[in-house]
Amino acid sequence: MDNSLPKISSWRQYKALLRKDIAQELRTKEMVTSMGLYGILVLVIYYIALSQTGTEFDVTAIAAGLLLLMIVFTSMLGLNRSLIHEHDQGQLEALLLAPIDRPVIFLAKATTNFLFLAIVQVVVVPLFYLIYVSGALPVLLGDITPGPWWMTAIVLFLGAVGIAGVGTLLATISVNTAGRDFILAVLFIPVMYPLLLVLVTALNAAIMGGPGFEATFWQMCAAAAFYNAVLIAVAYGLYDYILGV
Amino acid sequence: MSEDLHHSKDATAEAVQPGDDWAIVASRVSRSFGPRKAVDDVSFQLPNKAFLSIFGPNGAGKTTLLKVLSTLLPMTGKGSASVAGFDVKTQADELRRRLGIISHNPLLYRDLSAEENLLFFAELYCIPNPKERINELLEAVELSHRRYDVVRGFSRGMTQRLSIARALLPKPEVLFLDEPYSGLDPHASDILDSLIGSIRDNHTFVMVSHDLDKGFQLASHALIMSRGQIVLYDECNNIDQGAFKSLYREVVGLGVS
Amino acid sequence: MKDLLIKARDFLQGREIQIAIVLAVIGGILTTIAFVMAFTTANMQYHTTTVNVPSFVHDTRVPLAPPEFQPQPPDGTVNYHNPWFSQKIFYFHVPIAQLSLLVFTLAAIFSVLFLRTKDPNYDLRSRVAMETTLLFTLGTMISGSLWTRASWINSWGELFGTLLSEPRLVTYSVMLMFVVAYFVLRRSVSGEEKRATYSAVFSILAWIIVPFSFIFTRVTNQVQAHPTDALNPGMDTSNLIPFIICIFGMMMLGYAIYTLRVREEKKRAQIEAIKEDIEDALADAAKAGSPTGAPNYSAAAVLGTPKSKEKK
Repeated sequence: MDNSLPKISSWRQYKALLRKDIAQELRTKEMVTSMGLYGILVLVIYYIALSQTGTEFDVTAIAAGLLLLMIVFTSMLGLNRSLIHEHDQGQLEALLLAPIDRPVIFLAKATTNFLFLAIVQVVVVPLFYLIYVSGALPVLLGDITPGPWWMTAIVLFLGAVGIAGVGTLLATISVNTAGRDFILAVLFIPVMYPLLLVLVTALNAAIMGGPGFEATFWQMCAAAAFYNAVLIAVAYGLYDYILGV
Repeated sequence: MSEDLHHSKDATAEAVQPGDDWAIVASRVSRSFGPRKAVDDVSFQLPNKAFLSIFGPNGAGKTTLLKVLSTLLPMTGKGSASVAGFDVKTQADELRRRLGIISHNPLLYRDLSAEENLLFFAELYCIPNPKERINELLEAVELSHRRYDVVRGFSRGMTQRLSIARALLPKPEVLFLDEPYSGLDPHASDILDSLIGSIRDNHTFVMVSHDLDKGFQLASHALIMSRGQIVLYDECNNIDQGAFKSLYREVVGLGVS
Repeated sequence: MKDLLIKARDFLQGREIQIAIVLAVIGGILTTIAFVMAFTTANMQYHTTTVNVPSFVHDTRVPLAPPEFQPQPPDGTVNYHNPWFSQKIFYFHVPIAQLSLLVFTLAAIFSVLFLRTKDPNYDLRSRVAMETTLLFTLGTMISGSLWTRASWINSWGELFGTLLSEPRLVTYSVMLMFVVAYFVLRRSVSGEEKRATYSAVFSILAWIIVPFSFIFTRVTNQVQAHPTDALNPGMDTSNLIPFIICIFGMMMLGYAIYTLRVREEKKRAQIEAIKEDIEDALADAAKAGSPTGAPNYSAAAVLGTPKSKEKK
């Protein structure tokens, strides 16, 4: 009787979950457009906020912080949206009813979240970079030589991995609560605190350059990678409990 | 409560080994958190190809019982249960492959088309030749002409038909229906009736319903739950409908029929 | 000896509450004694404060604390290298900080136990441990702020900057954020088991993150103003005695607060369960034609209402 049933392949299920999320996103373009637009609006706000600083002000000194701020806000928006899609029609229940290992669901969701975060960053971050780093006066005058662009890319990659990994767990919790967006922010900030701290240090090194900046940069990247490894392992382990109630 | 309705309850308490004859064997199934018992020591057996209707007031534990039997919620305590011959605790994956659920929630992705939805679930169940199976099912639920349309634009009845197709994808042996009629207009509910009727003979059904008449019309077995416990469980042939309805009213507490 | 131990165990069993009350009293007395000793018998010592001083402090040699925190001794013979107040607050700040980490860990342990057993008792204990953490974290931060003000910042305005740059202070700020988030989360989840599970998961996450925030603040920031040699073995006996007394007193207080709160919450849960039982019994009585003598709940009355409405 069992022989008639096909073999269950986690890889096939993982691919199906990815394809489903991507198909959904291609149809609605909801996450990428809302996050991208939000990122651009944050740039506008930065422009207004810094409009009175004058020519003496060195914007590169705070560029790392500004960039990270933009990424944190846009990704919180996206995380929320991605889990609402699994929730409003009880779809998550349908997933859990399928013969699927729970961690596969976590990994698939984290992967697509990472993918969408990365796509948005590819669009928005160059814009930011043009305005506040390569277009900044001290850089144009040659007072500051920023590190190569791929350094910023590495930091943003590490950030997206951490945000997608741990954020998926937190968003799964917050989507089941009253006041989703607020709860996500309240849970997200303390959990991400250490990561954001090392990311901003690494970003700052990459943008400001200066003597010995490479050492700081790689140290901070190693710290971020360590945080990601530990926290994603923990999130992976705890996800089952979140789904089990 | 009338004593004559109760005779079967003791009989079900005896341990029966899960075998080929039983689609569902629940023995002392409980689900509690602290002092609150959503499902309290529930035991019953349901033969293959039977249709069980579960009645009960809100909060009686009907849906929780279904969730425990469908492995969505873990059981607490020392009870055991098997569905389609597979243990709820130890053979969850095997069980899930033989179980379909039709709920009042469509459990579909609204931004995907009918075909994409089915294809996705077919992949989750690792069904070979998914396209063929999907064509077959879309034909059966009369949605072939809408297969490329996004579910968001479907009417309630069409969504429900699609969710039936989704539930039938893995060719389940057992089907759980969790208030499938809620929110359906009379026409859609007629279509649902005929769909269930057409697959009635090859599947075991468990339906949770508020609607006494609807539940009775299809059922071969009936079960009343109250506060997590079984008040009555018997074959419909043995039940006098009038007495049953008055008992149900007593359990619910208000004059609901 | 064995008999004595068994006797002691039998005596202690079921007397948690009495013990907690006794410990609360003793703890209170010990803490008070330590307080009095700190301001009377303890000698001044030099070695505690000012290690590396953050850049925003101009000159480390200037006594930074406000005058009200460091009165000059009447004879004027003692030359204070350290602010007077920072020495005194130390006896309370350190024990409170240690205890807050202890109960925070306890909350995480109970959370793990909860996830493994799904026993609501562990959820309750974890929650109460979190409450105690909140209390002691606030205590740490308040006493720490006074110490900070007395030791190494020029104005209260600099306090916030220190909170987010000095590793130990960052750790406590993050811990406070976590504890607050924990309770916000609890309030916004409906369904007891869901609430318990989510908060257990979150408190485990919190316990893992807090050391990260300590280490990462340290590696990203050169500020290291917090004294690290507070537990220097070279502590003067007159200082060590009130310090140790205070540690024991605080531990007793902490234990008593925790135990009494657990007891209170357990009773509350019992009362809720009994209330539900009563409601059920009343409903039963109503259906069964009120044999218990509650005329208002008779089946006829309940069943009659909808019918009479229909007639209208």
